[in-house]
Amino acid sequence: MKADPKGVLTGSHNLSGNQACAEGALAAGCRFLGLYPIMPALEVSERFLERAPRVGATFIQMEDEISALAAVLGASWTGKRSMTVTSGPGLSLMMEHLGLGVMLETPCVIIDIQSVGPGLGLPTRAAQGDIMQSRWGSHGDYEIVVFAPSSPQEMFDYVIKAFNLSERYRIPVAVMSDAYLARLQENVVIPPAEEIDIEPRRYFKGETDKYLPFKRDKDFVPPMVKIGDGYRFHVTGLTHDDRGYPIMNEECQEYNVHPLVKKIRDYTDEIIEVQETGIDDAEVVIISYGTTARAALKAMEQARSAGIKVGSLKLATVWPFPEKRIFELAKKVKAFIVPEMNFGQLVFEVERCSIGKANVLFISHGEKGVENIDDILSAIRQTQQMNEVKKCIIELKKGV
Amino acid sequence: MNLITSIFNKGIETSGIERKRISIPSDIPFSPEVIEKLGVDYFHTARGRAIPFGTGLKLGNPDLRVMPVTGDLMTLGGNHFVHGVRRNMELLVICVNNFIYKKIDGKTAPSTANKFSPYSTFEEPFNFPHLGNSCGAVYTARWTALHAEELAASIAEAITKPGLAVIEIIAPGPNYYTDIDDIDENLLKFYFDNSIIKNDTNPREVGITPEDKIIVGRFTDKKRPTFIDVYNVQLGKTIGEKFTPYGVTQTEKKKSGGSDGGN
Repeated sequence: MKADPKGVLTGSHNLSGNQACAEGALAAGCRFLGLYPIMPALEVSERFLERAPRVGATFIQMEDEISALAAVLGASWTGKRSMTVTSGPGLSLMMEHLGLGVMLETPCVIIDIQSVGPGLGLPTRAAQGDIMQSRWGSHGDYEIVVFAPSSPQEMFDYVIKAFNLSERYRIPVAVMSDAYLARLQENVVIPPAEEIDIEPRRYFKGETDKYLPFKRDKDFVPPMVKIGDGYRFHVTGLTHDDRGYPIMNEECQEYNVHPLVKKIRDYTDEIIEVQETGIDDAEVVIISYGTTARAALKAMEQARSAGIKVGSLKLATVWPFPEKRIFELAKKVKAFIVPEMNFGQLVFEVERCSIGKANVLFISHGEKGVENIDDILSAIRQTQQMNEVKKCIIELKKGV
Repeated sequence: MNLITSIFNKGIETSGIERKRISIPSDIPFSPEVIEKLGVDYFHTARGRAIPFGTGLKLGNPDLRVMPVTGDLMTLGGNHFVHGVRRNMELLVICVNNFIYKKIDGKTAPSTANKFSPYSTFEEPFNFPHLGNSCGAVYTARWTALHAEELAASIAEAITKPGLAVIEIIAPGPNYYTDIDDIDENLLKFYFDNSIIKNDTNPREVGITPEDKIIVGRFTDKKRPTFIDVYNVQLGKTIGEKFTPYGVTQTEKKKSGGSDGGN
């Protein structure tokens, strides 16, 4: 299916990350935004609201982030592609409905413009502190897909991909931006509508009385119907069977929840997207995601021109985590450098996947600005003096 | 609960609204077989969040009639209730007030009046019709589950109201997969016997106390522009002629002429 031309602002535009996010959503066919305003996510809703009435989209400002995501889930069942946009404190509140969205297998997109925490933090400073929360924040077992764009153009592209994957797998998908990318203005090329691929929702095509809301196809994804079309369905956030009826026993728990995990785990190769630069001959690989990748690539180029063989592995999808690829690389390279705008989150995943075969250096990045590469360069220099593999994460000391 | 759903059934039938257009987001688990017989779409959502979920359903498809049925209305859903009523989205909020959380036996709810809880509570209970009315609900009523005819008529009346309607049902707590035998019939009868019908009473005066009789009846019935009305007026003003009003193609509004509000 191709994009609806109404929502696609074809052309070359100078957009901030947040504006590109709203454009991406509209291009992807998003027609419902439920939100509660929060810095630094305001420009997304501002742009969306401005364009919405002309595109035929609608929006509502709810009383909090809990209800914003609840309304989004409701709207999604009416057949509308829906999203919400928030920042860290709002994401914390959304965790309840993220879990409900997973259980009800409701496609929707959550945009998180990260700023520093914990608590209220510093709403205008960029951070990557929600990355583990996006994966593990809600209770119970589930799998989720998370994108991390590093430029307004990527923001536009990944938001479309996020909508497509959420429809393909019937899950909530998150796009994790940050306060830096929110304001960063760059050129964004929006292609014509007929060049944008849209994953259509998988609808049930049988008779109205034959519909079972959770009867899975072979790939574990059940087809949906629109509410109000006479299918008379029953869905519940309790453990349920194919009919959507609650069944309170162990067998049903396994029957219900295992496929929620399998429908992503068995398809990770289709979902995971990484961008590799200069990996082939690399001795040191910088693993980065989101805006930190901008600094990583710059640092890589400088190190290369100084004769050090550095490569870059940029994670477009942070979750599911590219375990296999990192395990392969760990056998080949001397060290991984993981710059993150936090005090160490995804670095633990890198350490887990490198199982003691390569040094893992962590950098708490961003103190001197997102695009400052001094800390990454000094980490690269430090790897040159390492002769043995230390079986723990090495944290870069300031001023080394 | 079977009792209440059979009353829903009658109310829906009387209202004449096509069943496939009705959806119930709820935070209490109904017996699914019973819901199936109602012929509506049903969502069992997170505790206390039936109103925001229903808001999404209604705004996503304005042609629907959405009937959030809530148990944790004033605890988890307190803020959602207050804002839902203020916003005046077209919802029929049904609050099943059982005075105690029967499922977790003995725990008190914010609507608990002193005598009704086995261990008693020292907090003041909520007065739903008054709260709903003061936030701007277009319709408020209270009935016990044994006022079957009145309650069914009330549902039929409220479900077509343009705006947010609140109906409080006084009923003993349900158990999961319950049938009528499981309900404490004595309590059901006790509520019925201790109630008195007083339509159009000022909702301020209908608070439930252990000493007085429970006042039931229809308390509020007024008109106020709905969220979608105001949305269309406001966006129309800002954008001008190019704006296509949202959700006004719905058949029902044309029939009842309910979209006149906001002008």
